[in-house]
Amino acid sequence: MCRERGVLFHTDGVQAIGKVPVNVNTDNIDIMSITGHKLYGPKGVGALYVRRRSPRVQITAQMDGGGHERGMRSGTLNVPGIVGLGEACAIARREMPEEMKRMRYLRDKLKSRLEAGLDEVFINGSMEHRLPQNLNMSFLYVEGESLLMGINDVAVSSGSACTSATLEPSYVLKALGLGDDLAHSSIRFGIGRFNTEEEIDYVADKVIDVVRKLRELSPLYEMAKEGIDLSKVQWAAH
Amino acid sequence: MAYSDKVLDHYNHPRNVGSLDKSASNVGTGMVGAPECGDVMKLQIQVNDESGIIEDARFKTFGCGSAIASSSLATEWLKGKTVDEALQIKNTDIVNELSLPPVKIHCSVLAEDAIKAAIGDYRAKQSSKVATPAEQQSVA
Repeated sequence: MCRERGVLFHTDGVQAIGKVPVNVNTDNIDIMSITGHKLYGPKGVGALYVRRRSPRVQITAQMDGGGHERGMRSGTLNVPGIVGLGEACAIARREMPEEMKRMRYLRDKLKSRLEAGLDEVFINGSMEHRLPQNLNMSFLYVEGESLLMGINDVAVSSGSACTSATLEPSYVLKALGLGDDLAHSSIRFGIGRFNTEEEIDYVADKVIDVVRKLRELSPLYEMAKEGIDLSKVQWAAH
Repeated sequence: MAYSDKVLDHYNHPRNVGSLDKSASNVGTGMVGAPECGDVMKLQIQVNDESGIIEDARFKTFGCGSAIASSSLATEWLKGKTVDEALQIKNTDIVNELSLPPVKIHCSVLAEDAIKAAIGDYRAKQSSKVATPAEQQSVA
């Protein structure tokens, strides 16, 4: 779309690089951000892909000085970091086919266990156009931050307003068409290279247990069980 | 997010979770907040009509750990107080007791609102009880 109109396209590729194949030509990418720590490389080093041909991209220098990196970014390079980033990329490329399969298997297992153990759970976003290691689910009648507290030895995040400093729910989930109530009940699970199947089972068991407990505490769950249509209720909002 | 020990305690061992019979004449029910805001509290009190003392209190909350703790604490404080004493409970008391950070102060405000809503409901029931049958006919 951008290419047709002569508009430059920059993408933040930090989640995609090393996890799924990315081709700057077939994907029409002109500029792309990359970071080491998202592909099991060192933290504190990243890269910016800048297209040289068709079209040639010219960017304003971020820092002036000795003119390093073709005048784009002056300053001594972080050699150890760069070597680490390079090695992480090499490993990722080698491991990617197998890893994608394994990640998808673990993610799908987590999804099935949660769907089997709980009712009224929803997947946020497309299952098809999604990283194989990502899962975002909403657990109706349970608020995200309270769920996080119950699984506090598991590192996940929530789109709930209560977990953000601005008290706004995730704008991404809203763009996906989620109502605020489902956004507040969402959890994002990211499976990693070193996660095991045992850990998937542990997380599934724990999430199911905590959701059940929190539903016992939830006035919304109580009203739903009584057959009340929550969308018709007049709330005394604050 | 760093939680105080008291918030964690209420979260792991919430007090007085449950429901009272909302149709009972000596039960007041307050429901505040909205799912869109990520916070809904239902708080109920059972009052001894003669002494005016709150004999029992229950809560159910959809919300973060601080919201659950605030409403759990509220039910603890309500038991044994008269309705007038209960109206003295301020959200700042809850903030201090639970060491709530600034971003969670609104949870304590909601708990105070829930207390007042429950008392309001109880009082409304009392005043409609006082009306004579003839007055009740015309009101209905």
